[in-house]
Amino acid sequence: MSTMEQTSTRSGATAGSVLPALVPWAAAALLLIALPFVFQTGSSLTIMNQMAITIIFALSYNMLLGQGGMLSFGHAVYMGLGGFFCVHIMNWVEYDELYLPLPLLPLFGGLFGLFFAVLIGSFSTRRAGTVFAMISLGVGELIAACSIIIVAFFGGEEGVSGDRTMGPEFAGLDFASQQEVYYLTAAWLLLSAAAMYLFSRTPIGRIANAVRDNEERAEFLGYSQRHVRFISFCASGFFAGIAGGLFAINYEILTEENLNLVTSGGILLMAFLGGVGFFIGPIIGAIVFTLLQTVLGLYTEIWALYVGVLFVLTVMFFPAGLTGLLAIHIQPIRTGKIGYLYAPYAKMFLPVIAFILSAAAVLEILFHARHAGVGEEEMTLFWFTFNSQSAMPLIVALAILAGSFYLLRRFAPELREAWDEASHVESRR
Amino acid sequence: MSAPAIELEGLKKSFGLAEIIRGIDLSIDKGERHAIIGPNGAGKSTLFNLITGKYQATEGAVKLHGDRVETLKPFQINRRGLSRSFQITNIFPRMSVFENIRCGLLWTTGYKYSFWHLVDRQPELTEKADEILDQINLLGRRNDLAGVLTYAEQRALEIGITIAGGADIVMLDEPTAGMSHSETDYIVRLIRQVTENKTLVVVEHDMGVVFDLADRISVLVYGEIIASDTPENVRANEKVQEAYLGSVLEEAH
Repeated sequence: MSTMEQTSTRSGATAGSVLPALVPWAAAALLLIALPFVFQTGSSLTIMNQMAITIIFALSYNMLLGQGGMLSFGHAVYMGLGGFFCVHIMNWVEYDELYLPLPLLPLFGGLFGLFFAVLIGSFSTRRAGTVFAMISLGVGELIAACSIIIVAFFGGEEGVSGDRTMGPEFAGLDFASQQEVYYLTAAWLLLSAAAMYLFSRTPIGRIANAVRDNEERAEFLGYSQRHVRFISFCASGFFAGIAGGLFAINYEILTEENLNLVTSGGILLMAFLGGVGFFIGPIIGAIVFTLLQTVLGLYTEIWALYVGVLFVLTVMFFPAGLTGLLAIHIQPIRTGKIGYLYAPYAKMFLPVIAFILSAAAVLEILFHARHAGVGEEEMTLFWFTFNSQSAMPLIVALAILAGSFYLLRRFAPELREAWDEASHVESRR
Repeated sequence: MSAPAIELEGLKKSFGLAEIIRGIDLSIDKGERHAIIGPNGAGKSTLFNLITGKYQATEGAVKLHGDRVETLKPFQINRRGLSRSFQITNIFPRMSVFENIRCGLLWTTGYKYSFWHLVDRQPELTEKADEILDQINLLGRRNDLAGVLTYAEQRALEIGITIAGGADIVMLDEPTAGMSHSETDYIVRLIRQVTENKTLVVVEHDMGVVFDLADRISVLVYGEIIASDTPENVRANEKVQEAYLGSVLEEAH
């Protein structure tokens, strides 16, 4: 598994045909074009827009964490500031103080993000590790606090809002419809993702990996670790600003929430969930997180609890993230040994589903019993309707939970054996 | 006559009250193969770190090709044509062997902090890296992660990274530490080959290697150089015998 998408290890194929490298990007473009034909409702367009923005933000975050080894607790600042700036531009355009077609707006968000990244990065990237993390946390809280105080720019607690449709028309589009906004966002997503991928393949991108792995060694190869971190930091701020500009276009409002620690922490969580060692890791993380947030959020109030549990489990058992979990299957597939895994996976499938659903059922029943209004004792869960105050449903859920846990424990050794079998490689020399 | 490659004048280094380097004067000519030997704790690694910019000297001067460099950072010293290896293997374990070498090449081939070139589309970069891989006999391991190489392979890679940038002064810190006899022979041959026509400074415990490789040897004992001469004269030097070599040579027999 040392190759494939793992950004840190992919090695240089000599300059050859560009074509194979373009295939995944062409596929992504086609997918982005086709998605609105499959998911046509307004709410699904909203979710996809949010996903696209989050993906750009997550990728920009991973330029720091995954590529450069910089753990930031304040990355929302650059997206937020870019977004605020864009709403102001939108208002200037509305009052004819400025001429700017809407599709170009995110670029200015990026430039504003870049400006602040230069400012703050000039001192925060001096050291890596804990010092960098603490400074990012401090600056993040500082700017979030400023946003309440400096009302002229941040609009205080209600934030600033604008209207994207008041600008000049662009190729006959006024961006009043969700669909137009979707294609605008998708285009920026593709452009930004490609640019960030290419950045990772430039000399500075490679050296950012080197500094991440061994900053001392990089210094003895002629590279100032500080300059390398600074450049990565600025690039990351730029792309975060683009995400901010798209956010401004989509929601037409920015508030303190876009700058604060919750947003910064969320993006860290997504990057980790998806896997920081892979270029596509943050993409997967952003998609899964947004889906959980929006779709799961429709069905249960405690969706954040599930996300938290998923995050903790990922960090504990799959530190390489969801992408890492997928990537470990690549080698068995290549060596043709994936077959060893079919039987144990099939055996585990039902118990795993039963385990997850019954665990969720226990939580939901308890939550409903404690928090439902007076007289609302009836609850519906997985197509069953029952009284959440009675003991029976809870007992059933617990019984299923215990039973599936027992089965999982019983099948686990078999899976482990199959894994050893599947991942065994004949010595090559 | 051009200035010596490395010149140390009254070099001192203290950590708190402990004076580790106690006034060293040393001049190493261009093209010389210079070995620094001495008992553990004599300050050999500290001296290396002072010359390469990892530590700042408390007193005295370090000159490269006649220019004072004692206040410069490691990356600035490296840009002046000095490259070093480390006693403890210091590679990029999560990158491929090829990429390790390529990272060593990027600055001196002029790519510097470029974000407008794609590394995989620079044929001369790839060629040069492969050439070095061939020299250090690791072409077969090109696409493996550096972290999974055997110890001897990692030491060879360490030397490869060090010389990749084409530095004219190469400093190697215990290149054969922890190696078997055959591995040592291999590494010594490799060092000879890749440092041809370059200035070489090497810290080494294996006296066989030292006397085999060096044109001149400096003996460092308690932060002072007690002798700096040709191998024959150093071997014959009574002070050296007393302070260090006697015991080492006896042990070796």
